[in-house]
Amino acid sequence: MRRAVYLSAIPVLAAAIFISTGAHAGVAEGKKAFEARKCASCHQVAGPAAEKTIKDQLSKKGPELWYSGSKFKAGFLEKWRADPRPIRPLAYNSVTERNTGGHPMLSGQEKADVAAYLMSLKSADVKPLGIQAADNPKGRIAFVRKHSCYGCHQVRTRGSLVGGFSGPSLAEASERLNPDWVYAYLSKPSVFKPVKMMPVYAGIINDAEMKGLAAYVGSLR
Amino acid sequence: MTIRLLMPALVFFALGAGIPAYAATAEENYRFHCAQCHGLEGKGNGINATREMPVSPRDHTSALEMGKLTDADIINAITDGGRRQASRASCRRTENTFKNEIPRIEGLSEEALQLQGR
Repeated sequence: MRRAVYLSAIPVLAAAIFISTGAHAGVAEGKKAFEARKCASCHQVAGPAAEKTIKDQLSKKGPELWYSGSKFKAGFLEKWRADPRPIRPLAYNSVTERNTGGHPMLSGQEKADVAAYLMSLKSADVKPLGIQAADNPKGRIAFVRKHSCYGCHQVRTRGSLVGGFSGPSLAEASERLNPDWVYAYLSKPSVFKPVKMMPVYAGIINDAEMKGLAAYVGSLR
Repeated sequence: MTIRLLMPALVFFALGAGIPAYAATAEENYRFHCAQCHGLEGKGNGINATREMPVSPRDHTSALEMGKLTDADIINAITDGGRRQASRASCRRTENTFKNEIPRIEGLSEEALQLQGR
């Protein structure tokens, strides 16, 4: 009987070791692939934020990814890497030029590895507050009426995309963004994006409203 | 001509020397912060000037439009987003970023307006 228990535990242990080893290998392999493909020539992967001036920001070719593991939802990056449709309507740092896409596509194991690597990049400034994505009145009023966030960020309303173009689209943000990160980004903008086109709301929006807004953004489909 | 009319708006953003984080010329600041709604030439036709926007961005090149504003209105528009709710929300970026520079903005704006004979 005891021998049978030991024998039955072997596959479980083997699976645990495989999963554990696989996860670490994914991160290490993803880092190698990221470097080999020179992704860092467009994306900053080492924090903290380095830009201090508008010139610094404008010299960047793509969004920083050094906190991507705190920003994105699990599974999003791997899915996006397989079909990298533009999130930003405009080319990065441009206020006139449309984003025509063309981001390099990854497939297979490389896609999973790079996603695992990027999801390993976390920021200690994103606290696990457990803000739940929810279409809540306080957040909706803040987003739509009080702060007109859609003036710069596209959203989907009754099946149509509406809103401005200069910010990343928030349509399907529910699949992409961690509400705790949205809150951290709003409440500590200098940590994540010290030089940015978006208004600073820290000190203007109170904490409860900011959390409501983060929950609302996290619910957008 | 356009640049001359745009000077008040540009000058208000000439905050570079005293702000380590945002050292920039007036034009750089305008292009970075304002052009997304007001357009690179300040005509109020930036990329965000969509029909969904609750109010149309002001044409900064219009002497008529700019003539409606007092110095205080312009300073308020930069530091607090202006009088209208929609622009308050979208323009207010400067309140935090430039709040220590308000006396300087006032000085620069007055100087610019005097130069233009207002």
